[in-house]
Amino acid sequence: MDGSPLAKGINPEEQEEFFIDILDKEEALSTLSITVVGASGDLAKKKIFPALFALYYEDCLPKNFIVFGYARTKLTDEELRNIISTTLTCRIDKRENCKDKMEQFLKRCFYHSGEYNSEENFAELDSKLKKKEAGKLSNRLFYLSIPPNIFVDVVRCASMMASSANGWTRVIVEKPFGRDSESSAELTRCLKKYLTEDQIFRIDHYLGKELVENLSVLRFSNLIFEPLWSRNYIRNVQFIFSEDFGTEGRGGYFDNYGIIRDIMQNHLLQILALFAMETPVSLDAEDIRNEKVKVLRSMKPLELEDVIIGQYKGHNKGGRAYPGYTDDSTVPKNSITPTFAAAALFINNARWDGVPFLMKAGKALHRKRAEIRVQFRHVPGNLYKRNFGTDLDKATNELVLRVQPDEAIYLKINNKVPGLGMRLDRSDLNLLYRARYPTEIPDAYERLLLDAIAGERRLFIRSDELDAAWSLFTPLLKELEAKKISPELYPYGSRGPVGAHYLAAKYNVRWGDVGGEDD
Amino acid sequence: MAAFSATHCRSYSYSHSSSINGGQNQRFSFSSFSRLSVPAKAIRNSHQTVVLMQDGVVATKVTPVEKETPKEKLKDELLSVTSTKEWDEKAGFDSNENESTVSITVVGASGDLAKKKIFPALFALYYEDCLPKHFTIYGYARSKMTDAELRNMVSKTLTCRIDKRENCSEKMDQFLKRCFYHSGQYDSEENFAQLDKKLKRHEGGRVSNRLFYLSIPPNIFVEAVKCASSSASSGNGWTRVIVEKPFGRDSESSAVLTKSLKQYLTEDQIFRIDHYLGKELVENLSVLRFANLIFEPLWTRQYIRNVQIIFSEDFGTEGRGGYFDNYGIIRDIMQNHLLQILALFAMETPVSLDAEDIRNEKVKVLRSMRPLRLEDVVIGQYKSHSKGGVTYPSYTDDKTVPKDSLTPTFAAAALFIDNARWDGVPFLMKAGKALHNKGAEIRVQFRHVPGNLYNRNFGTDLDRATNELVIRVQPDEAIFLKINNKVPGLGMRLDRSNLNLHYAARYSKEIPDAYERLLLDAIEGERRLFIRSDELDAAWALFTPVLKELEEKKIIPESYPYGSRGPVGAHYLAARYNVRWGDLDIEQ
Repeated sequence: MDGSPLAKGINPEEQEEFFIDILDKEEALSTLSITVVGASGDLAKKKIFPALFALYYEDCLPKNFIVFGYARTKLTDEELRNIISTTLTCRIDKRENCKDKMEQFLKRCFYHSGEYNSEENFAELDSKLKKKEAGKLSNRLFYLSIPPNIFVDVVRCASMMASSANGWTRVIVEKPFGRDSESSAELTRCLKKYLTEDQIFRIDHYLGKELVENLSVLRFSNLIFEPLWSRNYIRNVQFIFSEDFGTEGRGGYFDNYGIIRDIMQNHLLQILALFAMETPVSLDAEDIRNEKVKVLRSMKPLELEDVIIGQYKGHNKGGRAYPGYTDDSTVPKNSITPTFAAAALFINNARWDGVPFLMKAGKALHRKRAEIRVQFRHVPGNLYKRNFGTDLDKATNELVLRVQPDEAIYLKINNKVPGLGMRLDRSDLNLLYRARYPTEIPDAYERLLLDAIAGERRLFIRSDELDAAWSLFTPLLKELEAKKISPELYPYGSRGPVGAHYLAAKYNVRWGDVGGEDD
Repeated sequence: MAAFSATHCRSYSYSHSSSINGGQNQRFSFSSFSRLSVPAKAIRNSHQTVVLMQDGVVATKVTPVEKETPKEKLKDELLSVTSTKEWDEKAGFDSNENESTVSITVVGASGDLAKKKIFPALFALYYEDCLPKHFTIYGYARSKMTDAELRNMVSKTLTCRIDKRENCSEKMDQFLKRCFYHSGQYDSEENFAQLDKKLKRHEGGRVSNRLFYLSIPPNIFVEAVKCASSSASSGNGWTRVIVEKPFGRDSESSAVLTKSLKQYLTEDQIFRIDHYLGKELVENLSVLRFANLIFEPLWTRQYIRNVQIIFSEDFGTEGRGGYFDNYGIIRDIMQNHLLQILALFAMETPVSLDAEDIRNEKVKVLRSMRPLRLEDVVIGQYKSHSKGGVTYPSYTDDKTVPKDSLTPTFAAAALFIDNARWDGVPFLMKAGKALHNKGAEIRVQFRHVPGNLYNRNFGTDLDRATNELVIRVQPDEAIFLKINNKVPGLGMRLDRSNLNLHYAARYSKEIPDAYERLLLDAIEGERRLFIRSDELDAAWALFTPVLKELEEKKIIPESYPYGSRGPVGAHYLAARYNVRWGDLDIEQ
């Protein structure tokens, strides 16, 4: 420390206190206003307000903060608080003071009713915010939980009339970010008229999931994985998402997008990019996002023959009838929108050349699950093969990261079954989060909101990432629509169309999640 | 599981399952062999599988069969699956006489090992239908005993596996009926000739195979071998002799012993037992390495920082130090058990799983090793210690131990393998009696992550929190891999967790004792887990110079309290090679 010019005459401990002092003062003088635009919507009620409360409960929000709901519905502050309070919960492991904390939180929640395209209404909001901020340094975060067609209007009004004068102003946007390269580029262009890249926080809540966060930790802080992380050892990688319910009367929005846009092009592709990227220079947001863009740009645009689409049909099971997708009253009877898709992607770089990255996403399947599966190559010259009639080359190692539910990491290894004979068996080396970490795992929205407040952009999608992602999927999506490819039907609650197996077989892959064994 | 239960002794199979979802535990087998009923004689290393039919002619190659073959048709005793090598051994016998018999003679039947391990292991094999149909067990010792007295003595130590209680006492009775006793001197050819006559009567003219298990002090090894071989060898089958350690006490005495044994036996007939090689997880070591893609690339100096092979007992000599005092912990544990595990761990990939191929690779490792130097060894001896009102005795309090004994009851050593794979990687060994716990494990510590990204964000030195693979041989067999992961929550905290496989949780079956496996192997002529003469020579060559130096210089062992973690000298030895013992960390 002696040599450091900063340390002149101050010993290290004093210096530390000095900084803490500044931080405290800064916090006392600044204030954070979070405006949830579209406050009466479903996402706001189910995710955003509960996440804000969880952050408050955990003391993660700054000392001075207020939450404003903004929507067209006429509501009083009290009415908003009533709506919110029904969805707030405390973590299972932390029940104390829950009621108290809720009340304190609700006191900081307010409501302003206004049109989404009215500059005047946003100006009113601005004056209300100013009153609450009481002359302190004001930072403002807008969470746009609204349909995409009014994104730009809201951004315009908010940015022009309700930007912070002396602090930062940030806007969180939810998907969809367009429906193809062109519309996405147009959206980005419009947003950038009013906001700088720095101010735009495109949220992909899958990136906030615990095990997706852990993916980089696993790769980069363990010696044993990185040497294996290449085409030399990895045979294929699978990204699997499944839901055990359909659109259930809310297919209006979905029908316009379909599963590829809704899940694959964003959530699964983002996880793929994180999985496959080269080691970044540092963990800083720009460094990580630079690497992700490189992966996306090394990928081959998806071709029609590498995609299988499906749509669920009605199914009777155990005396119950499950509806088909087109039975949904909000969906056109002749819709050919895919509710299931499987795709094979390739990254044409030195690390991954020739390794199939398979994706699969579907609604109304037999279970709810999101996971990453890494299947390793066979053991070259396996000694044990000579002694077995079986093809041990199929019994390869596999690393599974289960993102939800029941977060877990397990590594399938071959070992000897205890006993006098020589029987091999595939067992799991496993880490079940529930068993190891009894505390509740925070919701993805909590992490992402906190990051946006802190200005941490690592988990948000940069414009060039978005462009690269769309350029992989746009040609395919256009071709599907132009050729009116009809999806393969699969029964509600099934394992999805068998076409997915043939797609996998084409690249010499077996899906790990629907093998003869259960995973 | 059910498909295997009757045919588990020596079949190869692959089952495939997962337990993570609890309850959904399906297994299936790709193997056809496992469905065939092949007791005892199915030889594992058969590339070419042939079936010996009644007339003794090679009838057909066994091809994978999908359906279960009716056992009745195949008549177990008529079916034997053999390798080409086994074939030669059997070629001599009369082709009309296809029934063979095995006589197992336990020489030193009244001893402790025989009672505690050998007879129970034989019974377990019998219970599991792993012994040939015709077998006889003879106890041989100097004490005068009747068959009934032997049976009485043996019956006290027999147990059935916890998971298989049915018919237990019935099976015991049947087993005991096949046990006999013959009293005789260990150096009397006449007495062995009498034994031979008795054996012949039991064998009833069948092809007779004879296995002698020498459970006797080393000074009478050679005498017993001489008598057994010259007066009680099988006339038409094989004769094999299992010998227990100690195999000498240094290079010279071991060479003399081998030379003497070879006067009466060929290398093929000598089965030097090291019961550690029969432990389940030691067997599994090769499977882990060679049947998984993910471990082999890491198995070099490039990724492995050090390897630790650790053995500890939580009791002392307890009045039985007479034998031990003459040998010490280095000869008793390190030079054999731990070194054998090390050789298996570090060997190159063998050409096949055949015994000679594996032992060739093990010898290569041993011969690539630098003989141990005095400065790379720390020795200790336990002293008495009072804890909770109980006073634990020191080693020299043992009445059978000389008061001024310098024999080490603890030792730690650093060994090096000077080959391309392992150059510079310290292999640390540690063995001790009267320590705070009981266990045997292999720990593989990996290197640090080069350029760890997370180091920048943390005050702590992540280079210390490296990956570690732990194979716990006993007790509570387990494999776990320590990995760094993120603690769930909003912050970014890293944590070391275990990816683990706990045998007791995954496999409800009782794990067979090492002796069962080794006896079965000896009966089948499977030599993989037995020590060849050149292996033994190489092993002694590593330890003999340091053992001599310790004795000549009268190096005084560091004392450590009974029940402690051993002398601190072990830490300094480790520190010299930039290693930390994995078993003494706080988290452990």
